[in-house]
Order: sequence, then structure tokens, then C-alpha cells
Amino acid sequence: MSRLERLPVDATGVGLALFVLSVLFLYSPLFVSPPGWTFFVLELGVLFVVYVLILIGLNLQFGHTGLTNFGPVAFFAVGGYTAALLTARDPYGAVGLGMPWPVGLGVGVLAAVGLGALVGAATLRLRDDFLAIVTLAVAEIVHGLIETFRTVTGGPIGLQNVPRPIPDMTGGGGGAEIVSTILVVGSLALLAYGVFHRLTASPYGRVLRAIRADEQVTETLGKRVFRYKFMVLIYGSALAGLAGVLYVFYNGAASPLFFTIDVTVTVWIGMLIGGAGSDRGVIGGLAIIMGFRLLTRLLNQELPFVGQDQFASARILLVGLLLMLVIRYRPEGIWGDARERRAES
Amino acid sequence: MTLLDVDGLRRSFGRLVAVDGASFEVREGEIVGMIGPNGAGKTTLFDCVSGILRSDAGTVSFDGRDVTGAAPHELARRGLVRTFQQTRELTTMSVEENVLLPTPDHPGERAVHAVARTGAHRERERAARERATDLLETFDLGSMAEEYAGNLSGGQRKLLELARALMLDPKLLLLDEPFAGVNPTLTANIAASIESLNEDGLTLLIIEHELETLTGLVDRLVVLADGRVLATGPPDQVMEDERVIDAYLGG
Repeated sequence: MSRLERLPVDATGVGLALFVLSVLFLYSPLFVSPPGWTFFVLELGVLFVVYVLILIGLNLQFGHTGLTNFGPVAFFAVGGYTAALLTARDPYGAVGLGMPWPVGLGVGVLAAVGLGALVGAATLRLRDDFLAIVTLAVAEIVHGLIETFRTVTGGPIGLQNVPRPIPDMTGGGGGAEIVSTILVVGSLALLAYGVFHRLTASPYGRVLRAIRADEQVTETLGKRVFRYKFMVLIYGSALAGLAGVLYVFYNGAASPLFFTIDVTVTVWIGMLIGGAGSDRGVIGGLAIIMGFRLLTRLLNQELPFVGQDQFASARILLVGLLLMLVIRYRPEGIWGDARERRAES
Repeated sequence: MTLLDVDGLRRSFGRLVAVDGASFEVREGEIVGMIGPNGAGKTTLFDCVSGILRSDAGTVSFDGRDVTGAAPHELARRGLVRTFQQTRELTTMSVEENVLLPTPDHPGERAVHAVARTGAHRERERAARERATDLLETFDLGSMAEEYAGNLSGGQRKLLELARALMLDPKLLLLDEPFAGVNPTLTANIAASIESLNEDGLTLLIIEHELETLTGLVDRLVVLADGRVLATGPPDQVMEDERVIDAYLGG
């Protein structure tokens, strides 16, 4: 563990306190109204805290347990679309049941968990690589289903008129809504980090790291390996599902554009750059990747003669270059521990 | 009393019959050696007994219960623990963590206790640490506790595996070639440890090619050839058996 992991702050407690405060803040008549030019930075902030939720689950799965989940976006999308389908009121050309948002929240998370259970039951008794292949395929299948059943999901248009519980309670306009969302979702992400870090820093985490190192030996030392792997897959699925629900509730809509393979790529690269298995490092890695996005957008404003597409391409090039540099010179990631890296990976 | 009873065990890989109706027993308090030429099916037999491989036919009873087809973790919890021929320490974890891992019935290994950081969890962890420290001292690994297991020498890895297995307080320990690739001094040390563990009531079944050390250690030998038990009995008697000599000399 690095020095970074030993800071004497209990993230679980702080996260819980901040969450309560941010909800109280929602109920209060107060709001923070940021200046207009900061909106696009803050928008990216919302995306960041949502992705952090997915990443925490993915890091538990891959970083600690060695489960290769190449389809976190599938669980993110199933959570989001389930919530949207249940809660949308008369969306255009799609199905919306108009239920209250807490139903969407609960069932959305459960649906992601259900998908995780299905994938886990089907693959976790097989060799490691099957999970990787199946999750990759499941992500494609989920994407295909959303496109195909357009009378239900709205196809490329998506679902509108989804409730926006956090912005609706804020008052004070667009900027204040973004700030409130960052506070609530960010404190939830901190809480999730705290809870998952307690898990990985305990004997439970020791079993997970043992499974990552040698499954069979762990089994012969009296641990129920399948159950651990199954539960880890479920926990990660639940977090990704929650992230999907929160993102749909923030946007007041579900759109296939929210759930592209970019999500999987962004969290995976963030995790690898930060250092898979380092609970804080991976979040740092995600911040670096999303910082690039912010930087290129800022530059884009300054240099109007360079097209947006060109900047997008430049960003992908830069991210690819960074990933190559990290893999070449620091394969364990910036904050990772080389001694804990598996020899074969 | 019979602790382990293997009856008519069979396992084949395609057309190759690795274990072909092997039957033998290990009584409580014994040290039994298992020998046989390469390819006799010794390791496959271990794998079937410890639940890593499913057997095609036959039964395994342990401690008075039929455990045929039981999962490895279940057998380990009941007190049937094995080591591997190629040492398989968890190289990406510290020596101490390696030994702490097997701690049985650890509340901290359940998510609720781990997240809530319950007193039961901390209490168990402290007791486990004490036991682990004792075991590491016994096997001269005390100074290596913080070291990553990947940095240990071959001999130290053998010792670590032994210490790790003992953390489960086994009734029966299956050792797969504990002296392979170990220098003579360390061989003598390991043999002494095995004897003292046996005096404390541990039953052992040992696969080994290093016959000199083995015959001095065991109460009884089981000779395996072509997946079947060829002979069994006290070492001096078995070593003079014509069939055993033939099997070893490639008769």
C-alpha cells in the first residue's frame, strides 16, 4: 500500500456525513449559482463522479480479485434504462410507466444486479477468460437490444420526461442543479469508496487478492472461491447500475449516447493508468483521463481555427500515448504497487 | 481408527487411465509414504482425494464420512489439507499474509463484518496474527514476515507452504514431494518438523522420491504403479518386495 492509502481519514464516515449534508442542502432553500462559463467544467464533474462509481466496482472486480469485466457499460446501461422505462411520463415513441423515482432507483439497481448474477452464474466456474469474453459480448447485446426495441426504448432518440429528483429539488436554475448533483452523487461516490476500501483493507480483501494470485490454492486453503467471485461481480454490478440510474435522473432522459463503449474504455484506461488495485490511485487515473478531455475543450475555445473533431482526435491520440508510456515504463500504474502485480499480466 | 479410506478410486484423462482402482487407508496418527515410479498416478490420486479433480469411480472417506466429490474448501475446513508439488505460495502477497489467509471461520472474511469493522473481526485477526507469528518463528521465517513471498528462496517456499497449511489445524496433511529441490540440511529440518508434528497428533500422507529420508520417517509405505496399489507395509518389508523392485527398475 502506498502512503496515499494511509491517510488517516475515514472515507466511509466523511462520505456518509457529506451525503446527509448534501441532501439537507437540497431540502433547504439555499443554492449555489456558479457563473455560466463554468458550466461545461461542472458538467464534466457530474460525469466524473458518476464514472467514479463504476470505477470503484470495476477496481474491486479486476484490481483486487482479478475478474476481467470488459463490459461495465452493460450494467451502467441496464441500470439507467430500467430506471428510465419505469419512471418516464409519456416519452415520445417509447414506453414510460410514470412510476415515482424511488421505484426506478431500486429496480434499476436490482436489474443490474440480476444481470451480474446471470453473467456470474454462467461464467465464474469456467476459466478466467470466459468472463472477459462474455462481458464484452453482453455489452454489445445490451447495446443491440436498446437499438432494436426502439418502440420500447426510443431507439436512437432515447427516453425523455424522466424525473429529475435532484435538480427538481434545487431551485435556482441550471448551474445550481449541476452543483447539487455533484454534491449528492460525489458524496455517494465517496461513501462507496469508503465502504469498498474497508472491504479491501480487511481479511475479506486478503481473500480477494489471494484469488487473484492463485484461485486453486485459495480454494484448497478453505475459501469458497466461487462465492467470493460471484459476490464481487454483484457488488460491482450494483454500483454500475446505481451510476446509470443517477445519470439518467440527472439528465431527465436516457439516450444510447450515454452508454457507448467509451464508458468502458474511459474507466478501464483510468484504472490502468492510476494502478489497478490501488483504491485511490484508480480515481486519480480517471481524473487524469477526464482532465485531458477538459483541457482539450478549453484549448478548443482558445483556438477556434482548429475544428472540434480534430481536437477529439488529438485527445484520443494523447490518451493512447499516455497509456503506452505507462504500460512501457510503469506497468503497475502511477499509484500501483509493482510487487502486487501478477507476473503474467 | 481409519482417518482416510480410499476405495477403488479411478480417474482417466481420455484414454489414459491415471488412477486405476486404487485402494488404501491411512490410520489416525500414522505417517504414510506414497512412492512409485514417475507416471504411477500419485499426484492425480492426491488431486482426487483433495477434491481438485473429480474421480470417475470409487469412494473417499475422511474422518468417518463419505467425502467423494466434496469441494476442496470443504475438505480443507474438515481438516484434510494438501500442499503442491511445485510450491504455490501467493507471490503477490507478503509472507505473513500467506499464512494469515487460511485462518478458519474468520468473521472479517464476510463483507458485513469487514465493512462494519466489528469487534469479532478484530479479535479473530489478532488471534490469527499471534498464531501466524508462532508458525513463522517455528519455520525460521519470522524475519521474512513482511517480505513478499515471491522473494523467498525455494527452500523457504517449502517451509512457507507447510506453515500455511498448518494454519488450518489439519487432521490429515497431504504433502506432495516436500523434499524435492531442497538441500540436505533443510531436508533434515523438514523431516524433523514432520516428526514433531506427528508426535503432536497430526497424521500425514507424503509423496516423495527421496526414499532414504522417507523410509526413515514413515510407519508404512504405499507403492503405486500404473494407478494401482502394488504393495503396502512397513518400509523395510516393502523395499524388498520383488514386485516393487521390478516396478522401479522398469520391469
